[in-house]
Amino acid sequence: MPVLQEYKCPCCGGGINFDSSTQKMKCPYCDTEFEMETLKAYDDALKNEQADDMNWETSAGSDWQEGEADGLRTYVCKSCGGEIVGDETTGATSCPFCGNPVVMMGQFSGALKPDYVIPFKLDKNAAKAALKKHYQGKRLLPKVFKDENHIDEIKGVYVPFWLFDADADANIRYKATRVRTWSDRDYDYTETSYFSVLRGGSIGFERVPVDGSSKMADDLMESIEPFNFSDAVDFQTAYLSGYLADKYDVNAEQSVNRANDRIKKSTADAFASTVQGYSTVVPESTSICLHNGKAKYALYPVWLLNTTWKGEKYTFAMNGQTGKLVGDLPTDKSAFRKWLFGLWGIASAVTFGLTYLWWLL
Amino acid sequence: MKRKLLSLLFAVVICFSTAIPVCAEESLSRLEDNADLLTDSEETSLLSQLDNISEKQEMDIVVVTTDSLEGYTAQDYADDFFDYGGYGVGDNNDGLLLLVSIEDNDWHISTSGYAITAFTDAGREYMSEQFVPYLSDGEYYKAFSTYADLCDQFITQAKTDEPYDVGNLPKEPFKIWFNVLIALGIGFVFAIIVVLYMKSKLKSVRFQPAASSYVRNGSMNITQSGDFFLYSHLDRRERPKDNDSGGSSTHTSSSGSTHGGGGGKF
Repeated sequence: MPVLQEYKCPCCGGGINFDSSTQKMKCPYCDTEFEMETLKAYDDALKNEQADDMNWETSAGSDWQEGEADGLRTYVCKSCGGEIVGDETTGATSCPFCGNPVVMMGQFSGALKPDYVIPFKLDKNAAKAALKKHYQGKRLLPKVFKDENHIDEIKGVYVPFWLFDADADANIRYKATRVRTWSDRDYDYTETSYFSVLRGGSIGFERVPVDGSSKMADDLMESIEPFNFSDAVDFQTAYLSGYLADKYDVNAEQSVNRANDRIKKSTADAFASTVQGYSTVVPESTSICLHNGKAKYALYPVWLLNTTWKGEKYTFAMNGQTGKLVGDLPTDKSAFRKWLFGLWGIASAVTFGLTYLWWLL
Repeated sequence: MKRKLLSLLFAVVICFSTAIPVCAEESLSRLEDNADLLTDSEETSLLSQLDNISEKQEMDIVVVTTDSLEGYTAQDYADDFFDYGGYGVGDNNDGLLLLVSIEDNDWHISTSGYAITAFTDAGREYMSEQFVPYLSDGEYYKAFSTYADLCDQFITQAKTDEPYDVGNLPKEPFKIWFNVLIALGIGFVFAIIVVLYMKSKLKSVRFQPAASSYVRNGSMNITQSGDFFLYSHLDRRERPKDNDSGGSSTHTSSSGSTHGGGGGKF
């Protein structure tokens, strides 16, 4: 059942957040810190309590027309009574009226409970700094983009990922050639030897991530990989406090194809790298079977930054664990021309000078 | 006396039977424009140039044009024209002759005496690169004049230093426009590579093709492995012959004298 959860500071009653720098829960009002372990127990206790403390409402009021609210869910903030509107995947947000962080318990309970979560390691300032660094060293980036640009929105989101484990059995036949050349007084000889190379065996993959949220662009999410799974912990809703979170809306069956493609490509690459000592290696027949497939559900931390320039929206994503930031940037067409023609002129002049020097020698 | 007469008769018979329109008795000039490729004024000016250089270098520098080779090879025609035309200075008959036949667009240089030493195969190759393009364009006067100047340059070089030969050829003139075009081409390729590299830095969002960061450590296990030789294919290519030995190749003409030289088509 969807339930709104707020983590209240036992000292002062303020809403408390997960603090990425200390990896603890921290009250922004009285600076009290709480160990995650304590909160886990607290979390369990709260869940038990909630059975007789359900005060969420799906207020599909008369002002919503039929079907209009299908994608929406409304919650009532426990602190101020304000109405929080989220869509059906929203799992954590903050109250628009009092700013208290809230977690929608129902989005992560039962079968929907994630197996793991990698808590945020980097904060909002790190994301801003990373974006500034992202702009550097890019000569074709429009100057005004850097100067006038302000970040419209910056949000820390726990993005749902499916993690696929699989073993791959591969049987690959390659056609390979080896070239030997030698010469005697009159002739140059080239001997091309053709080989049939067989490789069979197995390779295992673990936790190949596939973005489980349709709201997130898949290429954007794959670009900030890899996440380091050694930091993952068992899921607790408390980690979501202070961040946004989505539950998955693309299920494991729909996501598995993407993982299979990547696993197959990697398997083929790994086996091809064992075929050595040849000039050319071309796979002739490839058979890769995947088995022991398992899917786990995890939330990975991502900072999303949005900015607008000339009416276009630019989205950047930063890995909340490793700090890797990606995002496509616009090209300054006049700078492009300037560099092209400038370099053309300089390179041509230098080449001409060199040919003349060569001729003089 | 009888013997002398006989040999004279023999010479006359040969002279007729070879049917080359040259007779030793008639003194020929250093320019024989039998194909009439030059105007009168061009002839006068070219002849004086040839005479000047020939006298200065003490070597006959001859230009001959003809409508037809009359069945002879260009080499034989040129050699015989030189021998029976009475060209050549000194005991060794120093001199060289440029024959141009418009019948099949042949040209041939025949060298004799000291000219064999001065005009090596490589040097002649270099010379032909300079004047043959003019022949092809029909600019005969320019071609012959260039040839005469080159002869002057080559003989001077041979007398004062080593003759021009492999590894010791005069510099070809710097081809400005050719080099400008080459430089522009290389410059553009360089510029476009650099600029596209700069542009590629603006793009950072792309799908990951593989999952190599997620391979379980030590999980790769090769159970089957075999490399089978199928067949081989041997390709043999003749090495380019190194003609770097230099020098001049010679042959003997119908009159028994030694000539160097070579030719081609224009």
